[in-house]
Amino acid sequence: MDAIDFDLSEFLRVCYAMLELEYFRVSHDRTELYIRAVQPALWLVLFGFIIGSLRAIPTGGIPYTAFIAPGVLIQSATTVAIFYGLMIVWERESGILKRLLSTPAPRYVIVIGRALAAGMRALIQSLVIFLIAAIVGVKFVINPINFLISLVIVLIFSAGFAAFSMSLATVFKTREKFVGIGQLIIFPLFFSSNALYPLTTMPAFLQMFAYINPMTYAIDALRGLLITNNLTGLSTDIFAVILFTSIMFYIAAVRFKKIVE
Amino acid sequence: MTEYAIDVANLEKIYSGRSKKALDGVNLKVERNKIFAILGPNGAGKTTLMRILTTQITPSKGTARVLDFNVFSDGHKLRKEIGYVPQEMSVWTDISAYENLLIYSQIYGIAKAEREALIKESLIRMELTEYKDNLVNTFSGGMIRRLEIACALIVKPQIIFLDEPTIGLDPEARKKVWEKIVSFTKESGATVFFSTHYMDEADEYANEIAIINAGKIVSQGDSNHLKQSVGNQEIILGLSVPLDDKSKQQLRKLEQVIDLKTNGVEVEVWVKDASVALSSIMNSLFSSKVKIESVKINKPTLEDAFEKYAGVSYDSTEGIKEVNAVRRRIIG
Repeated sequence: MDAIDFDLSEFLRVCYAMLELEYFRVSHDRTELYIRAVQPALWLVLFGFIIGSLRAIPTGGIPYTAFIAPGVLIQSATTVAIFYGLMIVWERESGILKRLLSTPAPRYVIVIGRALAAGMRALIQSLVIFLIAAIVGVKFVINPINFLISLVIVLIFSAGFAAFSMSLATVFKTREKFVGIGQLIIFPLFFSSNALYPLTTMPAFLQMFAYINPMTYAIDALRGLLITNNLTGLSTDIFAVILFTSIMFYIAAVRFKKIVE
Repeated sequence: MTEYAIDVANLEKIYSGRSKKALDGVNLKVERNKIFAILGPNGAGKTTLMRILTTQITPSKGTARVLDFNVFSDGHKLRKEIGYVPQEMSVWTDISAYENLLIYSQIYGIAKAEREALIKESLIRMELTEYKDNLVNTFSGGMIRRLEIACALIVKPQIIFLDEPTIGLDPEARKKVWEKIVSFTKESGATVFFSTHYMDEADEYANEIAIINAGKIVSQGDSNHLKQSVGNQEIILGLSVPLDDKSKQQLRKLEQVIDLKTNGVEVEVWVKDASVALSSIMNSLFSSKVKIESVKINKPTLEDAFEKYAGVSYDSTEGIKEVNAVRRRIIG
């Protein structure tokens, strides 16, 4: 349709509006935030405690609950992001998407703005998990810079997943289909990542999959920043996360046209 | 600047994967500062036309200009000048009215300094000030519609597209919505292009009406023109005694009278326009010393015009039910 002539102030303006919208939403209704904290809490408290006490997994000397905390955190953020596509399905059914398309906001900014908004919601969710982890005794690296970088990684990674989710919404245009697909995506990614066990303990074929699994990089970054303070792989991790999110943004922006026709 | 707010020629739209044309050569001109209604049966192409004119989807063929912008190539500029309220729902229900207005004003790039004043003005105009901090999901259907219109008017658009603006609302809420729309257009000189299932609204508020059927505009004109084009008006006179032949002849000679039929003491007279013809008919009867006991006028209605041009009888209930179901699901 229109040629994409990038206008930075417009881009920032619309993204800001979308972030603010999400902030209003979360501030009016926090129940979802709490409900979605239950499952990750169980992972940390039950799974972490039981498997940890078996001492079957080589974690390099850190307690098992602390080892899985970054993975649980990323998984909960991803869950929020992947179900964000549902919102788009809903907005398609209602007239909001049509309405947004008739505003001066360029389409790609609507997509990216909403993805960042989802990232923000996921970030807020992960703060809740962070708090739970601290309460159950996970010892975090005390360093505000590490902490801030972690937050930015969670935001960017979740935004990428939300963009992926919006692309899915262009294929699965009803809620029922979408809910099933969401679960089907998160768990295989979670189990084929380094969330619950080090990559070295995995069979070779699974390791290969883990290396192309974007979740692996986000978790590795967070584990280094928050738990082990070992930052050797950090630049690779950040590069991988940014690459993943950029590709997802691109696909979502291109696919977005499909959802409204 | 042309005199037309909307200028559409040979517009066609085929949705991908379908063979039927949603629009099949639409030609339409809408003058500026008019309230223009588009009527048609379900699936006739009203919504498709509106979505093309608001640059949401692209036409397959033909040209469409809105406010002198090409909807296809000048979409970005045009979108700054239009307001649009889709038929289903265009506000977020889990945030407040004020927050909705704030988000939309940011999307439209209204400067921070003007924002508060414009939001305040919109809230007052739509009588929503005292509810501004309530969540939208506590609002009535009429209030939600007024908020949606408030969000569309906040940028003072030159043209407003309203897809079924009052569908599913009770008569009082409908009237209120229309009062607001009419007063805004009077103040601002904006053009309104709306579709509706309610014939009475088109009749009362539209300066001009087009009827669309099977993707084509089949008739266009003001409400009177459309009604008159259906057929003649009928005056039924009840007399004290049956009409004699001489008086009958005299009536037939009247310029306005097209045809005449007597049935005992009842006389049916067909005329082009009853309001013009009635006085001369009555004068003629008085001069023949005939006493008139009752007068009844049957005029073709907009429903009759709709039936004639759309080829189906006017039935609002189906479409209204459908939209209501969607809105209920959304509001929860």
